[in-house]
Amino acid sequence: MRSSTVGWLFLAPTLVILFIFGVLPFLYVLVIGFTQWNSFAADPTMQYNGVENFRRLVFDEQFLYSLWLTLKFGFFAVTSQILLGYFLAQLFMRDFPGKGFFRTIHTLPLVIAPIAVGATWRLMLVPGLGPIPYYLRQWFGYDLNISRYVDQAFLATVVMDVWHWTPLVTLTMLAALASLPKEPFEQAQIDGANRFQIFWHVTLPLLKPAILATVFIRLMDALRTVDEVWMLTGGGPGAATRYIGLHIWRVVFPKTDYGYGSSMSLITLYLTIVMCWLLYAGLVARRDLKRVD
Amino acid sequence: MADLNDLPAEPRRGFLPIHTNTFDRCFIAVVLFVAIHLFWMRFLEASLSLTVATVLSVIVGAIVIARG
Repeated sequence: MRSSTVGWLFLAPTLVILFIFGVLPFLYVLVIGFTQWNSFAADPTMQYNGVENFRRLVFDEQFLYSLWLTLKFGFFAVTSQILLGYFLAQLFMRDFPGKGFFRTIHTLPLVIAPIAVGATWRLMLVPGLGPIPYYLRQWFGYDLNISRYVDQAFLATVVMDVWHWTPLVTLTMLAALASLPKEPFEQAQIDGANRFQIFWHVTLPLLKPAILATVFIRLMDALRTVDEVWMLTGGGPGAATRYIGLHIWRVVFPKTDYGYGSSMSLITLYLTIVMCWLLYAGLVARRDLKRVD
Repeated sequence: MADLNDLPAEPRRGFLPIHTNTFDRCFIAVVLFVAIHLFWMRFLEASLSLTVATVLSVIVGAIVIARG
């Protein structure tokens, strides 16, 4: 038997599972995205309506606002996580008393279910009950009310996401930092490079694949966040934290507008893929090209 | 059965600012196809039919795949 045939046979179970649970649902959503299908409409059957759903969503102010909010959330959350994760990884590369204990405590948020994270943060932040608004008012006279102030609600969702997912970034960075070869750093030191130059010209380029992979994972997660935010703010006040996942959920489930919801899901998927690809093309492919030239 | 090594994945340099293989160029063509249609529906469809966008997208896609 040819080695390629054996290879395909080994791959077959994974490909079949991927096809059933990944490709088929995607194709189903793709088909529904081009239909008018609302189970509580006068005509509840699925009917092909061309690009009408997409025509509707490019003018849908609520959808566009949700999209803008989600991009803003993704930018602030992912940037903060990468920076904080990197600094914590650098910290864990050094020896200090209680390092093992601190590292264990630091990774605990990762094992908590997002819905529980949202509930916990809500209990801590809800006005009149949570300890954080109480002590902020007592000590600093600051009025923290995520049910009333739009900026505070947005910031609370970002901080919650950063708290929950920074440990993942730290662990990835830690693994990447631990696997870096020593020779380039020694050579840079011999050449008289200072700490910033070593970071900029040696550490950062060597860490680039790990950083990029982490950014992809976190960006994809941030753009489809639903449960944590749903528990913390419910998308409010008003629509201030109604990120795209929540908006799609509202359209698909309470409003049962499956066709329109599917088209929004497709556009969200499209934007996520395009952003990740642009990031890859801008940071990796272009620089590799310069190196070749 | 096709060998994975037989796939046309050889990178090359066209007018795009990165090295691309056939899959990359098809991907870029599809991305542009969707982007052009969404842009057209939002800003230009009132004056020009969406069919124009489709024709334009197919031409742009063909150029990207052939010369990108």
